[in-house]
Parts: sequence; structure tokens; C-alpha cells
Amino acid sequence: MTRFGSPCLEVRGVSAAYGRRQVLFDIDLPRLEGGSVLGLLGPNASGKSTLMRCLSREMAAAGGSILLDGHEQRGIAHRQWHSRVASVPQSPPAPSALRPVELMWSTARALALPLSDAQLRERIDATFAALGLRELALAPLQTLSGGKRQLVGLALGLIRDPQLLLLDEPTSALDLHWRLAVLELVRKRVAEAGGIVVAALHDLDLAVRYCDLIALIEQGRLVGAGPPQEVLTPQVLARVYRVEAEIRSTPDGRLGIDVLRPLSDGAGLPHTR
Amino acid sequence: MSDADGALHAGYESLNRRRTALLALLALGILISLLLDLQAGPADLGLLDVLRGLLDPEHLDLRRQIILWQVRLPDALIALAVGAALGLAGVETQTILDNPLASPFTLGVSSAAVLGASVAIVLAPVLTPLPEAFTLPVLALAFALGSGVVILLVVRAGGAARETVVLFGIALVFLCNALTAALHYVADADSIQQIVFWTIGNLTRAGWTEVWIVSACLLLLLPFSLRDVWLLTLLRGGEAQARSLGVDVAALRTKVVLRSCLLAAFAVCFVGTIGFIGLVGPHIARLMLGEDHRFLVPGAALCGALLLSLASFLSKALLPGVIIPVGILTAVVGVPVMLGLLFQRRRIP
Repeated sequence: MTRFGSPCLEVRGVSAAYGRRQVLFDIDLPRLEGGSVLGLLGPNASGKSTLMRCLSREMAAAGGSILLDGHEQRGIAHRQWHSRVASVPQSPPAPSALRPVELMWSTARALALPLSDAQLRERIDATFAALGLRELALAPLQTLSGGKRQLVGLALGLIRDPQLLLLDEPTSALDLHWRLAVLELVRKRVAEAGGIVVAALHDLDLAVRYCDLIALIEQGRLVGAGPPQEVLTPQVLARVYRVEAEIRSTPDGRLGIDVLRPLSDGAGLPHTR
Repeated sequence: MSDADGALHAGYESLNRRRTALLALLALGILISLLLDLQAGPADLGLLDVLRGLLDPEHLDLRRQIILWQVRLPDALIALAVGAALGLAGVETQTILDNPLASPFTLGVSSAAVLGASVAIVLAPVLTPLPEAFTLPVLALAFALGSGVVILLVVRAGGAARETVVLFGIALVFLCNALTAALHYVADADSIQQIVFWTIGNLTRAGWTEVWIVSACLLLLLPFSLRDVWLLTLLRGGEAQARSLGVDVAALRTKVVLRSCLLAAFAVCFVGTIGFIGLVGPHIARLMLGEDHRFLVPGAALCGALLLSLASFLSKALLPGVIIPVGILTAVVGVPVMLGLLFQRRRIP
């Protein structure tokens, strides 16, 4: 993790478009240092996945800049970028006859990770063990549930020991235990070792529990970014998510969000579109 | 904890060992099939004669030397080379288009070759100075490569979306078939019979030149396929995963389609359309060897070679004194196998 020293990610004025349809407008994120976890929040179709795709370099931003350790994303060689940045897409590995362990080996070797066979074996073991996948490592992916396949997708991200880990809805198919366990693991593995995590999340409770910083976007525009208690207020939740919610402090000092009920379009603040 | 560690990797290692053994078994099967193929035929040339004649040609009288070295050996070897080329092209096409029914034939390559051959046959009176033995494979190859170029242009223009490639390939098949039908319409009965005969697929047209050309094409392209085995394996985890890992799927798709079209074009131009080898060979290999392309890619080539070699043996051995065109046998064997695979696919969710 410390191969390149403590990393730093800066996102300034990023915009993006699909053809003529602009979907991201001038997004600024707080400067992220090694060890921090940023949760990207927003309703459906707010542009979270598009921003994740821009960060991972899968899609070129139409404007603005994304800097890793002060270097422009597009100035960093393709191979070097992907050796430092791991992105876990929203859709899990396809249900083919391929086995998780084969997917891990082919990923590591196709990316030319500088690991000996013995080192790679060790890392695959540790990753599968942490995600509870050891018993399923030799089972064809098509026999695994959606949740287990999502964990395999996560293992593909973790195997690379990334400086920047990008997770797009990493818990969408997981049960209650793994929702918490996965984010705990990510914090422990990546953040404690000095990496940066950016995770697009739907679950506000998970976000306030595991993220140091929150960025909330709505219809492609940044609503607010900063510590959870500053960004998430009942007014903001009513406007962006159209829910009535109460926000309180839990006994262990975290933020607790109680969502009471959905607001009808007329009851909330003016809703465009 | 270390026990479980051991179990995972022991399982993986034993999987790899079993697959290596299966590859060796396939190679052995090919050797046996080659010998069977060489000893079958109307002329009296038994297994012992074949073995002796291969090691020491002087051992046989001149007539049998010629039969072995100029007739049977080129036929048997072109079966291996064409079968391997079609198996290799098929497995790569299936993986890159994520479509179990894809093969270079569904991309229109063989239909274009048939069209080219038909043009050569129908225009034979106009092309008289050139022997038909020359114009036929050359035009078949030219048309097959031409269809490959068109497919590649579509791959690039369409951003290499796999649905576009498959749909356009099928459209190309229909177009070539329509043009061939138009040629049938204007051709005389003799030419039609020739076209039909060519379409069936037949190994007995091949000589050493053809063997060398197809083998060279196979040996030149195989290393490129083997270099991409990790990437192709990775692709079985889905295109979204591969993209997120920084794999340039569009570039890989262009490369693989180019390779497959070249292999299929060279494979069919000398022997005609050999049905189903490029489809069934890879599927049998998948069932035997799984999805790790380190084993699957060579395995599909070996399966293709073995299938066509066995078909070539059967074509001579089934009816004494008669050589059934091998294309008929591969299709008759291929259809039930394909149906079986389809039903098996449906059972697996």
C-alpha cells in the first residue's frame, strides 16, 4: 500500500455527458488524503455511477480535472493507473462456468501484477477468507447467488491492493451481515493501510457509519460535500430524497438517521422535472 | 486456517493438472485418429504399411508410396489443420462476442467463401486461361477475407458492441446466400452441381501446398491467441468487469475478430464449408476443460482437429470403396451434439 507513499485525490469542476446530454455539472469533491473514505450519495439517476466511471477512467470527463498525487489522470500511463486504482463496478461478475479462483488468477495475470505465484496464492487466500468465499472459490460463478458474485467482484478489487478503491454500490445485493462486514473490511484493509476509498452508496445509514466524508449529488450537481453531520440535514434529505427524516446523535457518537415517510411531490420543496 | 488455505490451492492445482492431462489425451487421440485416417481408403494399405511407409518410404512400392505420401497424408493433415483453425477461430469468437452460437461462420465468412467459389465456377468459361484449381480457392479466399474486412469495419464503426457484430454477421450471411442463389439462377446445371459439391466440404481436394498454407496461417496466429488467454478468461467474468479493470475490450474484440476471420477464410477456401467444427469443437472443449482459456484455447484447436480427423476417417471407413464428403459427416454429427448442448445450457440457469 505504501509503494507510492500516501496518495491524494483531487476532483475539480468535473463535468460529463453522454452524447449531447450533459449529466454532470462542475463537480468538486473535497481533497482526499490516504486513509479517508468518501461516500457518494444521491437519488437514482443523479450521476453517481457516471462520476464513478470518470474517476475510474472508464469514461472521459468532458471538463474539469481529476488529479492523483497531483498528476492529471489522463497524463498517467494506462497500466500505471490501473495498477494503483481498482474499480468495482455495480454489476457483479457474469454467471458463467468460470470459477472465482480462475477469475482472480486471470485478473492478476492479465493486469501483470508484480506478484510471484506464491505471493498471489497467499493474497487470494486472504481475500477469499476475509469475504467468506473460500468454500465457493472453486464453484462455477453461475451456481453462486448474486450476493456472492458481488463479493467475488469486490475480491477482484481488493486483490490488487489499490491506492484508490472505487466502489459502485458495493452492497446492493448483500444481506445485512455482509453489508456491514464489507464496508468494515474495506475500511480496515484499504483505509488503514493509507489508501483512499470512494464508494457510491444508496444506504444513508451505511454512509454515515463508515464514511468520513459525504458528497451528495442531485441531477448531476453537487448539493454538498463534507462531514456527514454537515451535509445531511432534514431539509436536504427532504429536498433531494423527498423523504421526511429525523437526524440524531447515537450514544456512541455517530449520526443516526430515522427516515419517517416519503413525501409526495407536492409536499416537499419544488421538484423539477 | 492453513488447512483451508491448502484445500483451495490444492483444488485449483488438481484442476490444472487434470486439464493438462486432458490436453495430452486429446493430442494422443489426434495421433491415433491420424493413423486410422491414414490406413483407411479404397487402396490396400494397412496400419503396418502406413507406419513403415512413414518411417521409411522406400519400404513401400512406388504405387503405395504415392498413395500414402501424395494422397492420404495431405488429406489427413489438412483435416487436422482445418479442424484446428476452425476450433481456434470458434472458441475465440464465442468468447469475444459472449455468444455460445457464434462462430466465424455466423460472421458470414464461409457464406462469402461459397459466394466466391460460385463466382469462380460460374465464370470459369470467362476465366479460361487460369485453371479452376487456382481460381476457385483464390476467389473463395478473396471473398472470405473481403467479408472479414467488412465485419472489421463494422466492429470499429459500431464501437465494437457485440450485438452489432452478431447482427451484421447474420445479415452478411443472408446477403451472400442471396447472391449465391442469384448465381444458381443463371448458372447451368453442371455449374450448380459443382457449386453444391463445393459447398458440402471435401478434404480430398487438398495437396501439400494447401497443407502448408493452412498450417502456416494457424502457426502464425496461434501465438497471438495464446498471448491473450488471460484476457479472454477475464472476459468470461463479463464485459463490465473487464472494462473496470482497464481492459480495452473494443481493441481486443477487433484483434480477435481479425484473427478468426483470417483462420476461417484460409480454412474453408481449399476444402469448402465444413459445418459445425467451429461451433461444436469449442463447446466440447469447454465441457472438458472449463473456462480457463490457457487450457480452452489450445483445447478447442485440438478438439476441432480431432473431430475433423475422425470425420475424415469415417468418411472413408463407413462405406467400403466410397468416400463420403466429410462436410456431410461433420454436419450429421454436429447437429445432435449442438442440440444436446443447447438443452444442457437451458438446464443451467
